[in-house]
This record gives sequence, C-alpha cells and structure tokens, in this order.
Amino acid sequence: MTAVAFVPPNVLPPPLQRFAGLLKRKWFRELVLAPPTISRRRFSNKTEDYGVFQPSLVQSIGQLSIYVRDIARSRAWYEALAGLTHSRTCEEEPHPFKPGWRIRCCYMSAPEHEECLVLVEERDPDGKLTIPSGMSFFHMAFELRGNRLEDVMAFADQAKRAGFSRNYGPVRHNGEPPLGDGETGGNVACYFYDPDYNNVEFCCAMDTIENYRGRYGATKGSARA
Amino acid sequence: MTAHVAPQQIAAAKLQHHVIYVDDLAQSKDFYMKLFDLQFSALNHPDSSAAMRLSHQEMHFFSFGFYHHDICLVKHHKLKMDNGSMLHFSLVARDAAAFDGIRRRANEMGVPTREGRMIASAKTASGQRAFCVQDPNRHWVEIIEETQR
Repeated sequence: MTAVAFVPPNVLPPPLQRFAGLLKRKWFRELVLAPPTISRRRFSNKTEDYGVFQPSLVQSIGQLSIYVRDIARSRAWYEALAGLTHSRTCEEEPHPFKPGWRIRCCYMSAPEHEECLVLVEERDPDGKLTIPSGMSFFHMAFELRGNRLEDVMAFADQAKRAGFSRNYGPVRHNGEPPLGDGETGGNVACYFYDPDYNNVEFCCAMDTIENYRGRYGATKGSARA
Repeated sequence: MTAHVAPQQIAAAKLQHHVIYVDDLAQSKDFYMKLFDLQFSALNHPDSSAAMRLSHQEMHFFSFGFYHHDICLVKHHKLKMDNGSMLHFSLVARDAAAFDGIRRRANEMGVPTREGRMIASAKTASGQRAFCVQDPNRHWVEIIEETQR
C-alpha cells in the first residue's frame, strides 16, 4: 500500500459534508439560488420539460473499470459496504492503450450483475503505481436490492453501524420534503467515498419513463411548454 | 477502515448509472445522442439547482429508455477533468441490430475505435461481439452485444 495521501480536488471537505444536508431545506436552496433569482437568470430543473419516448440502442451499463491504489483495500471496502463479491483477480497484463504500462484487474460482482466493477492497479513502465485523480467521473451508482425508499434508509443505517461515513444523504432527488434536495430523477440515494475517494452512490426507486407517460401521455416537453 | 457488516446485509444489486466528467457539454451531448440515441431527460444547472451552484457543476441527464437517467455528463466549471481515475466503462447494446447500428454510426462519425473487449482478461461469452470507441474527452466506451436474449 502506498503512503501517498492524495485527496482529489473535487472531494467535499468533511465540514461541508455536514452542511450538505441543508439542501433538503427549501429555504436553504432558495438562499443559494438567490443570485440567479434576483438577476432573472434562474430556471427550473428541467425534468418535467423533457420526455423520453423511445428506447435507445443501449440496454444497460455493462462494466466499469476504475483505478485504485490497493486492490486488497478496495476489494475489502466494496465487499463490506456494497456487499459485492470477489469473482477473480488476474495476473498483471499489458495496459490496453498505454504501451509499456501494466495493469492488474480484480473483478467484483453484484447479485444481478456479474463482474460489474473492475478494480485496476495501473503501473507505468518504471513500475510506479498510478494514484487515481478523481476527475474522470463524478460518481458511479449501484441500485440496492429491494429498490425501495426503505431499503436506502436501512442501508444508510447499516453502513453507519458498521463504521462507514456518508458524504451525502440519504436524500431524494426531487423537491418533495422531507428528503427532497431539489435535484432530479426521483431516486433515493446516499453517497460514500471509497478508499481512493471515488464517489459511490447507492440508490433505489428512480423515476421511470412510465412515470412520465402516466403524467403526460405522448406529449413531449416542448409541446407542453 | 476495519468496518464489518453482517452477512445478511442490504447489498447492491447492480450497477445502475454512471456520471462522467466532460470538458464540453454540447460536444459530448451530441456524441452520445448521435451514437447511441440516448434520450436527454434533465438538466441541472447552477442557475436552476442549489447543489450544482454550490459545487460549480452542470449536469446533463440521459436515459436508455426506462429509467430517468443511466448516463450523466457533468461539466465542472472550476476544475479540469482528466482520464486518470477510470480506465473504461461499457454499454450493452439492446440487440444485434443495435450493436451493428452503433458500429455503423461510429464509422460514419469518424470516431476512434478498436475491436474486442477493452481489457484482455475480461470475460467474453461465446459468440459475443464487442468493440470500443473513444469519446470526445478520451473516455473509452466499450460496446457489448447482448447475447442473453
């Protein structure tokens, strides 16, 4: 394990993490949005203005590979918090697109998603381990078994009892109190930093396109406006 | 951390959505919509969202056609994105025709591609096809043919 203590620049400092819960208060959101309100630049989050009316060519996310500093440490974290299971860890192999670099891959599975996450140690031609920058993705999200609001609440409680600290949530990404934070999607979610400060969301009950159809039929957002 | 939870824990069922940093939202939005027919489902902006205003970010949401969002593109207005924390992510094409359609579009768009799985040690089901494209921000996106149906 490397002794380098690197915190990516997008990581929310612990004091701010404690205040993030204020986003569930409408008065606080209004305060934050006062400048664009006063200057008349403010607009609503657009969830209600766009309709999704046809399937894409994609069915689902298949796999995600992320850089980690220590496979054993990250594997333990994803097993203990997310309940992922270890599928296999491979011998070093050539990096797929960096000549002379090497990678070692640890494949992790979820009950409904085999080998969904790959933990990757990357080494340069001198054997030096890559320190993940934190600036390729904002977060990844796992859906919890059960897929209900109560499952996220129970998961957050379970994680707390086990000693894991959330950086945000539980919140619901809409404007409905008491959990709504004014965001979009309707999913109930809580967020944790993994050992390399990758931001990991655990969520349930996201809005579906059927919800839209139930509310608006086949009328597109532009027509409703 | 030495945390430990009981075996009957509430656990993740599947990877559900992914939120990637991009440098140019318009360019990336055009890429993902043209190549995959991703459906634009929401926009959170510093002038519409308190969380986005506080974090100096702007997020565009895209759906595969069932959930509200499956892929989101985020622009950080204060920090520069890079390719230093993710090797790749993969998308499962809906069926063989969709897989062929994505490949054809990638060729027409002149997108950098490579054949096969991104990581040599990744499992490939018998007869399963895969290729990879590089998006405008040099993120590698792997496209896999669905063979379960």
